[in-house]
Amino acid sequence: MNVESLSERGTRARRDEEVDVVIVGAGPSGSVAALHLARAGLSVVALEQGEWPEYNDYTGARPEHELVSTKLWHPNPNVRDNPNDYPVDTSTTDINPLMFAGVGGSATLYGAQWMHFLPSDFRVRSLDGVAEDWPFSYEDLLPYQLEIEREVGVSGLAGDPAFPPRGPYPFPALPIGSVGLRGALGMERMGWHWWPGSNAIPSEKFGELNACVRRGTCLTGCPEGAKSTTDRSHWPLALKAGARLVTRARVKEVETNEQGLATGVVYVDANGRDRRQRAKVVILCANGVGTPRLLLMSGGAKSPDGLANSSGMVGKRLMMHPFASILASYEDPLDSWRGPFGQQVYSLEFYETDERRGFVRGSKWNCMPSGGPVGVSGATGSKVYVAEEGRFQDFWGANLHENVARRFGHSLIWGIVGEDLPEEENQVVLSKNLVDSDGLPAPQIVYKVNENSNRLLKFNIDRCLESVRAAGAIETLVSTPVRESGWHLIGTTVMGDDPKRSVVDQWGACHDVPNLYIMDASTFPTSGATNPTATIMAVALRNTRRMIAERRNQKVA
Amino acid sequence: MSTDKTFLALADFLIPAHGDMPAFGSVCTFADAEKALDFRVDLKEGFDRGLDADPALSAEAHLEKLNKEDGGAFSAVTTIAICTYYMNPRVRELLGYPGQESVRYDSKATQIYLTDGSLGHVLARGRKYRPTPGL
Repeated sequence: MNVESLSERGTRARRDEEVDVVIVGAGPSGSVAALHLARAGLSVVALEQGEWPEYNDYTGARPEHELVSTKLWHPNPNVRDNPNDYPVDTSTTDINPLMFAGVGGSATLYGAQWMHFLPSDFRVRSLDGVAEDWPFSYEDLLPYQLEIEREVGVSGLAGDPAFPPRGPYPFPALPIGSVGLRGALGMERMGWHWWPGSNAIPSEKFGELNACVRRGTCLTGCPEGAKSTTDRSHWPLALKAGARLVTRARVKEVETNEQGLATGVVYVDANGRDRRQRAKVVILCANGVGTPRLLLMSGGAKSPDGLANSSGMVGKRLMMHPFASILASYEDPLDSWRGPFGQQVYSLEFYETDERRGFVRGSKWNCMPSGGPVGVSGATGSKVYVAEEGRFQDFWGANLHENVARRFGHSLIWGIVGEDLPEEENQVVLSKNLVDSDGLPAPQIVYKVNENSNRLLKFNIDRCLESVRAAGAIETLVSTPVRESGWHLIGTTVMGDDPKRSVVDQWGACHDVPNLYIMDASTFPTSGATNPTATIMAVALRNTRRMIAERRNQKVA
Repeated sequence: MSTDKTFLALADFLIPAHGDMPAFGSVCTFADAEKALDFRVDLKEGFDRGLDADPALSAEAHLEKLNKEDGGAFSAVTTIAICTYYMNPRVRELLGYPGQESVRYDSKATQIYLTDGSLGHVLARGRKYRPTPGL
């Protein structure tokens, strides 16, 4: 079966057919659940509000790339303005949530940085006295992490002393290029940790994935089909195993019976008609904004505060990883348009808590190229780059040429991902003013960057400036906190043992509705400071395996 | 002034000749800008507004006015100008930019950080992580 022909396969279940499992969302977690449940012989239907990716629409190899990608492939759904996405009310947030609706999910536009959480991430209460420990440990999750790496086709180099010992990655690390070498040089001169980047991008052909050619357009869709997204890594296998996938299916409600058990979902199909998909088990994989939104839209008169929300925690504790970036320019050419674009090297030097720094928990840095001339000019739509007291002329005229000459091909970017602590005030609620293209209420984000994060970012920016200058930077530009940086949507249906303080148990089952599961990053008690997709997929696999093993004991309607 | 002349005047103010780099109008035409606009129909309305200029204003004064009073139009005009310019083959040649190219490499080649000792220094600095308590 060819990946290009998958969208032509028959998909929808028969009218009134009850399937074993309906999955909401075909991104990283939903794809893992679909593949493994179907292989175990369960009947599975996945509902995805977006469509299959059209690889010809990825413009990375064409001259118009920088012009087109800032709209068509912008990670903010409000900018992209695609009817398959839902809009987000961002009037009350410091950081905009970023996401993409489609088969493969938001990973369609991710940088494919593949990082495990560290042991301390699962024990933040025990080690640092903040938030809560996870119900399971790094060691509990590691076998699933390694299995997922083999399914995804990760490239990397084992032996990083920032992690416990582990076996080799499936593929050798991608070349780190001049950008990575310069980033590493700065860290080396400071005596700090760095390591070649691990990425969900195979360096050799793997299944439906082609070998990376360092095109450098990972964040706007990979035209090579080399960046691992589940439309290529998982769905071909899931469909072969019998799973069915319905695209342009926007779920509007999880239905329950008198006993409070889930009976299926109602969705709006591509023609705008309401349809019902009955199921013994419902799994939500709609991300840290979409999942609480759906629960808050469900429940009806029986649960006016939303389904599975007796704890009152649905939507609360939103974490988005406050992010800063530092662009550093050098005299030497760095070919800094070449990929991979997510991380050529990373550093975990400041990952662990050191209270002398004035904050708890820490950060992960990733070194990436700076891209094409339009991006590095700082001038695109320059209204947004001009401070109130600034002048647009600073970005244009001779300044434009000089900025581009200094930065283009000669610069790198360090991204600083800060751990975000859970706070109940940071949350997803339903907007009273904004609706999606089907008239359903949009999510509203209520979010403030907290004092711990502000201190964390300031400390890390100062250290990063030391590092890039040690490597000879002739110019540095700092952006903090970056408003368009809410890639990692975490924590809004927290897992835990106490039904009064959490929404799901450690296996993703809702305390209130035992045949309703959540398998995306909504359930994470804390955010860590690494990119979460590896952990999202590993936790989904752990939950799915448990569901398969316990299926005869599963309570159903 | 005609629309194309207005745009070229604005674009030449935004992107003048400097060093080896040519002015916008030396290498790009209004037709090039219109082709670019076809890729971004969302900018068309703002672009048209941005070219509705008062002939008494200089290019700089017009852009200043747009930037203050109509951010959407300013953004549309400047985005089309800069993207058209950097899509131009001659400009790319002068910059040394081949576009987002495909780069061949040997995935099994020994990387320099393994042989020059730099990664060895990282290893020599020892363990960074805190282990799970109780293990």
